[in-house]
Amino acid sequence: MNKIFRQKSILFGTILFSFFMIMLLVSFVWIPYGYDIIFDGKSLVAPSAEFFLGTDDLGRDLFSRLLKGSQFSLGIGLVVGGISIFFGASLGLAAAYFGRRIDFTFTQLMNALQAMPSLLLALFVVAILGPSITNTIISVALVSIPSMYRLVRSQALVEVSKEYIQSAKALGASDQRIIFRHLLPNCATAVLVQSAVCCSEAILNTAALGFLGLGIPAPYPEWGTMLADSRNLMESAPQLMWIPGLCLLLLILSTQLLSDGFRDQLKRK
Amino acid sequence: MKLLGSFLKILGYFLFISLVSFSIIRLIPGDPVQNIIGERGASEERVAEITKNLGLDQPIYIQFYKFAVNALTGNFGESIVTKQPVMSDFKVLWPATVELALVALLWSSIIGILLGTLAAVKRNSIWDYGSVSLSTVGFAMPLFWWGLIVIFFFAVKLSLFPVSGRVDVIYDIPYVTGFFFIDSLFSDDKTAFISSLKYMVLPAFVLGTVPLALIVRITRASIIDVANEDYVRTARAKGLPYKVVLFKHIFKNALPQIITSIGLALGQLLTGAIMTETLFSWPGMGRWLVKSIEARDYPAVQAGVFYSMAIVIVVNWLTDECVKMVNPKMRDQQRSSL
Repeated sequence: MNKIFRQKSILFGTILFSFFMIMLLVSFVWIPYGYDIIFDGKSLVAPSAEFFLGTDDLGRDLFSRLLKGSQFSLGIGLVVGGISIFFGASLGLAAAYFGRRIDFTFTQLMNALQAMPSLLLALFVVAILGPSITNTIISVALVSIPSMYRLVRSQALVEVSKEYIQSAKALGASDQRIIFRHLLPNCATAVLVQSAVCCSEAILNTAALGFLGLGIPAPYPEWGTMLADSRNLMESAPQLMWIPGLCLLLLILSTQLLSDGFRDQLKRK
Repeated sequence: MKLLGSFLKILGYFLFISLVSFSIIRLIPGDPVQNIIGERGASEERVAEITKNLGLDQPIYIQFYKFAVNALTGNFGESIVTKQPVMSDFKVLWPATVELALVALLWSSIIGILLGTLAAVKRNSIWDYGSVSLSTVGFAMPLFWWGLIVIFFFAVKLSLFPVSGRVDVIYDIPYVTGFFFIDSLFSDDKTAFISSLKYMVLPAFVLGTVPLALIVRITRASIIDVANEDYVRTARAKGLPYKVVLFKHIFKNALPQIITSIGLALGQLLTGAIMTETLFSWPGMGRWLVKSIEARDYPAVQAGVFYSMAIVIVVNWLTDECVKMVNPKMRDQQRSSL
């Protein structure tokens, strides 16, 4: 029973995630009306043949904005996943392999970053740097790196003590070779699990910053910002609230299902 | 020796969090004085005054020393927006957040432990699947969207509960403790208490949702873990009724993990409070923090950083102590690791 469920979580996660990936790819090629084109006198139009999902209070096509929004929500999630793999994993591997002072310094640094709840840390970084697309990425990535670092370090520590690393050392392999050819491939599953976690955290935090008005700045249609705009239009145009929120929920759910599935795979090994 | 150790630890934490909140204003690109004045500009005397107030005319280590001493006495300077000492703003705000968080934590812990236990005891039943899917979706749910949905149904469609503020404006509530549940009892009109209850329902419901998902998941997992132990099988084999085994053997041993999950949930509450308070215009620390950041009110932001980090550290420490209290084994483990 459990076995089927594990496969199920990966299956559903993959289906949902590919749906959003397709959405992201389509948004680069084709957006029906453009995300910031205002149709005069056509504000809050209900879903129709002309406007697939209707329009918002300024008369912008919701479907176009939703498509463009995937570039921010999913796009930032993927970018931050990549950044946290790069920094978190390389620092984690280095800490586990070299140990001692390097390990101590990195670990204390990451502990310091983790002393605050993630959204708070992201908020403070935005408070320092000011809201913009780059700063959103920086703040959200800074939150994700420590968790990646921790997982990779703990996995690598187990591997470092194993015999094959010792024998590689005895054979005279360089540090670089051992880290990239031996250590990294054996920690790959841990990196995979955690990158899905980082991705979902990044999506959630980006949207949260957007909802608070401190994320991606105004003309861009980030899903969290779209939700914030829909607050006062709940009664007149509920689709403005339902659709971006549902997209956000399903996207986060898909990444979490994937990470759960990967984690089970990791445990079984 | 132990006392000295914990004193040094607290000192270290204190220095760390003051260093972080001290650095915030200095990490902002540009001149801090200009940042505080903003784009409108100010007279030269005002510039000199602000420079002196911030202590920027002195060497950096003296600045830090002064900041740390002031922080210890709760003096974070004057808010740029309200022109009041940050501390006096803060005194009114924190009870609102704590009250909301406690109510949210209370209901989510009770329901969470019940649901988690039920799911673990009746494995593969509808209860099990129900609570597992509930916690999976609860984890993925963006809190602000959930808040919007709750407002949509319970306030807009059904008009059951109010959505903005802590109590109806018609009531005049005297300031006694800052906790409206207590203060409203001092009000002339006794229905004020009912009103403050009504205003609490939706924010506390929304804020408790993510912690609920967390507590259900961990409770279920830890009870299933413990139920597979040998001593549980022994207890069953010697003929003890299931109820006794559940409470005396399983639940007692799963408790440390459940308490840890409640501690984790407290951390979630802090983040959640920012969202919930913004959604429901709840006049607490979270909304204040967001507003201060928006307004670039740096003294207030500094205080916010300082206190939120302090709260996280205290919560983690409390969780550890509670776990040690219910499970003496943990105490030995920690001693041996030192």
